[in-house]
Amino acid sequence: MSDTPSHVPVKFKMPKWVRGPQDFVGGLALMAIAAFALWASSDLQGMHGFSFGAGTAPRMFGVLLLGLGAAVALMGLLTDGEHITIYAWRGPLFVSLAIISFAITIRPLGLVISAFASFIISALGTPETKWKETIIVGICLTIGCSLLFPYALGLPLQLFPRFLVQ
Amino acid sequence: MTELFSNLALGFGVAFTPVNLLLCLIGALVGTLVGVLPGIGTIATVAMLLPITFGLPPVGALIMLAGIYYGAQYGGSTTSILVNIPGEATSVVTTLDGFQMAKQGRAGPALAIAAIGSFFAGCVATVLIAVLGAPLTKLALAFGPAEYFSLMVLGLIFAVVLAKGSVLKAIAMIVFGLLLSMVGSDIETGASRMAFNIPELADGLGFATVAMGVFGFAEIIRNLDHGAEMDRNLVQQKITGLMPTKKDLKDSFPAILRGTALGSILGILPGGGAVIASFAAYTLEKKIAKDPSRFGRGAIEGVAAPESANNAAAQTSFIPLLTLGIPPNAVMALMVGAMTIHGIVPGPQVMQKQPELVWGMIASMWIGNLMLIIINLPLVGIWVRLLRVPYRLMFPSIVIFCAIGIYSINNAPVDVVLAGAFGLLGYWLIKHDFEPAPLLLGMVLGPLMEENLRRALLISRGDWSVFLTRPLSAVLMGIAAFLLVLAVMPSLRKKRDEVFVESES
Repeated sequence: MSDTPSHVPVKFKMPKWVRGPQDFVGGLALMAIAAFALWASSDLQGMHGFSFGAGTAPRMFGVLLLGLGAAVALMGLLTDGEHITIYAWRGPLFVSLAIISFAITIRPLGLVISAFASFIISALGTPETKWKETIIVGICLTIGCSLLFPYALGLPLQLFPRFLVQ
Repeated sequence: MTELFSNLALGFGVAFTPVNLLLCLIGALVGTLVGVLPGIGTIATVAMLLPITFGLPPVGALIMLAGIYYGAQYGGSTTSILVNIPGEATSVVTTLDGFQMAKQGRAGPALAIAAIGSFFAGCVATVLIAVLGAPLTKLALAFGPAEYFSLMVLGLIFAVVLAKGSVLKAIAMIVFGLLLSMVGSDIETGASRMAFNIPELADGLGFATVAMGVFGFAEIIRNLDHGAEMDRNLVQQKITGLMPTKKDLKDSFPAILRGTALGSILGILPGGGAVIASFAAYTLEKKIAKDPSRFGRGAIEGVAAPESANNAAAQTSFIPLLTLGIPPNAVMALMVGAMTIHGIVPGPQVMQKQPELVWGMIASMWIGNLMLIIINLPLVGIWVRLLRVPYRLMFPSIVIFCAIGIYSINNAPVDVVLAGAFGLLGYWLIKHDFEPAPLLLGMVLGPLMEENLRRALLISRGDWSVFLTRPLSAVLMGIAAFLLVLAVMPSLRKKRDEVFVESES
């Protein structure tokens, strides 16, 4: 998973005293996640006597993650490490949009519309897309899914928009 | 000994009728076909296909389910190898070397070896259950909460040793996974934890949701990155040989043996046995290999060992399932659900009360394995051809399959959004060189770990030394500590750095 392409030249600029920016930022982010978890579980009951409360374990692991995040960040400060490769925006944006659009439309609009729409939206995620081809494949895939999931597998998926069916 | 044969004979007598064989074949075929769709993992496949067995008589239904289960699991391994999307926690390890093999054009041998290894492990484990079922049940009973907890610590340490990069970051990922597993209702008090009043979170984060996010969606997003085209073309253009060569078989045979042995032992231990088994088998192979740096770059042993181990463990985990009623993983939990529908409640009595069902099921597991190898060896070529589909068409299809798969598990749109969020998280993790596999293992074992930690401390009246004073637990903790020391030792460090330097140049 970690074989990030080596020929990406673009890097974030970081102050000189940060020797391993990848770890430094990663560690800080983990600390933030841990702090968030500690805040989120702060309303839960703690230890009573020697038995755990609902909040004991989350807090325990939260503190542990806070410490580990700090250690990772410290390693990033003190040892030479990788730079951060730049984040792409196009892929993440359109794939996320496709997923969100599927989630929003599957109930009211049914499988046919929502699967096809998500297919087209996620295809926007790369400049390589050839539209004619994509639309044809999208239509075929939508038909395939509409036959496979509700009929062949018997899943309770609605195919068409609710207002058309009623 | 006579008991052993009469038990097995009873089982095969039940399973070997033409109707049951046909049911098993259909199950394995359908299971594979659905399981091989990228993004629809083992859990989703079994959940989707469960209803088609409802109308059958109990034995027939269980036999068909066994076929579906093996088909789905093999389908999951197929997607692990071809598109780097594990369908289940047990096939996470398969992605490490399997996908690398696919990148090198050796997807065919990887798929074939996975099927062969699984079949071999299945055969051995079936005999093992028959021989050792009763005596080993007693050992499992010797496990108290403290031992369970130590066992899981050991499993997690295995995951750390196995991680490619820094030990520190791997431990951080495990703890992150444990923290994620805390979301939802508290097991004892029912208090809602970190769920922010979202009803879909009350049951906790689904494993399938998180797995599809950090592996499926994240992989897609990463592949869309500028400059990742090279990587993908590699997968698509070079496909050399569908069947393993003699050398492949020779290399992987000892690995299959070791994986089977390790898997059979770990599978008997309840609580994540099958998950730990595949991780442990991989670690073992890496440790005893002459050149450990090959692992993570397409070593065939790295596919053979964990695939055999997880199959062996899945088989032997029937012992705790049938005797203690503890399902070892999510899919087995679904199987328990199916058994309950047919009036079989797993537990101590089922072996005595309904022997023909138990042994019939064990026999059908073996038959399911056999069907799998019959169906899949000829089909390897077709699965591999999937790789030739250009990525610009492949990835939107995977997005759709993943979305439908996640949605169909609970019919919850929120799950789809959550998986998307975990996809972004996974992308971030990749960018910062954190590995998602330990995170998933932490998440799977989290609830069991917490439960047993709480119980152990309750029994010991708050005394933490209980993990070291109980002999079995102390041994497990000792092995864990030893492994951890091994992992941070300088000699190993050097090997890790070696990998690091090469990937930089």
